[in-house]
Amino acid sequence: MGSLAAIGAGLAALTGIGAGIGIGIATSKAVDAVARQPEASGKIMTLLILGGALAEATAIYGMVVAIIILFA
Amino acid sequence: MVLEATGAESGGIGAIIKGVINELIGSDKTAIVVPFGHGMFNINQSVVDTWIVMLVLLVVCLILTTNLKVHNISKRQALAESIVTGLRKVVSSSLGSQAAEYTDYLIVVLGYIGACNLMGVFGKTPPTMDLNITVSLALMSIILVEAAGIRKKKVGGWLKSFTKPIWVITPMNILEVGIKPLSLCMRLFGNVLGATVIMELLKEMFKLLFEGIQGNFFIAQFARDGLPALVPAIFSLYFDFFDGLLQAYVFVFLTSLYIKEATETEEE
Repeated sequence: MGSLAAIGAGLAALTGIGAGIGIGIATSKAVDAVARQPEASGKIMTLLILGGALAEATAIYGMVVAIIILFA
Repeated sequence: MVLEATGAESGGIGAIIKGVINELIGSDKTAIVVPFGHGMFNINQSVVDTWIVMLVLLVVCLILTTNLKVHNISKRQALAESIVTGLRKVVSSSLGSQAAEYTDYLIVVLGYIGACNLMGVFGKTPPTMDLNITVSLALMSIILVEAAGIRKKKVGGWLKSFTKPIWVITPMNILEVGIKPLSLCMRLFGNVLGATVIMELLKEMFKLLFEGIQGNFFIAQFARDGLPALVPAIFSLYFDFFDGLLQAYVFVFLTSLYIKEATETEEE
């Protein structure tokens, strides 16, 4: 049981892949946008941080699931 | 037998990590024992911490808002006015003009969650690391969202809004009533928990790293006693200040988006 739970927690941690890809795409687009319109960089930065926080949440769900599997 | 042997061997770093997480999640957090109800009404440490947060916010508000004047305002009043107008601008930009009356509630939630998350700076575990707190905040949000929808569209229009944009999507819309608060509370809880766990591990790591420094010189002494407190403070800037305030903003931003979505009436 214990080792199987560890495997499950490890699988749950794979959500990090999705979050990583998402934040990577968002950042690359933001870099594009700033290169095209440097005067809008402030607004783009705010949107990027917000989008990053939202994309990060999927990875956080994975972490919560992993912790629930391991400790609850 | 084999399991016992590995259990006994797991010392060192693994034991430290386990101890930190067990202390953060597993330990009993009851602060005040209520004499009736067989422990059902016991008050957690996190609730007591939120009382402290409320007290601090209340005192700050009282200090800032006493003796308000229309003409010839004091510096204190100018500060209060700039804070209020600034926060209103931040929140109402995502709320839209249709639901502007909910701005002040969202500002209060923003200040409350932000102050709760900042408790990590002072070495306490933030109250938002307790699922009970985040669940109650998310429930308040979803009740406000649905109530705003009912108030704007009346009951019939609110029920009809579940079938928008097409009727096939109705089960999804009904599920969303549960998913929205779940994602809100899990996002906040998970982020704060993750930040707190990482901060605790960093503190333990730097304690171990600088413990081994030998010598009685001033610099060696400083490295042994001062650095384990100073270096995590740099990381605390990101994990407690930036991430905590960002998560408070994300919570309020999403709630305001939901309210905006719920109160939008189609122009036909």
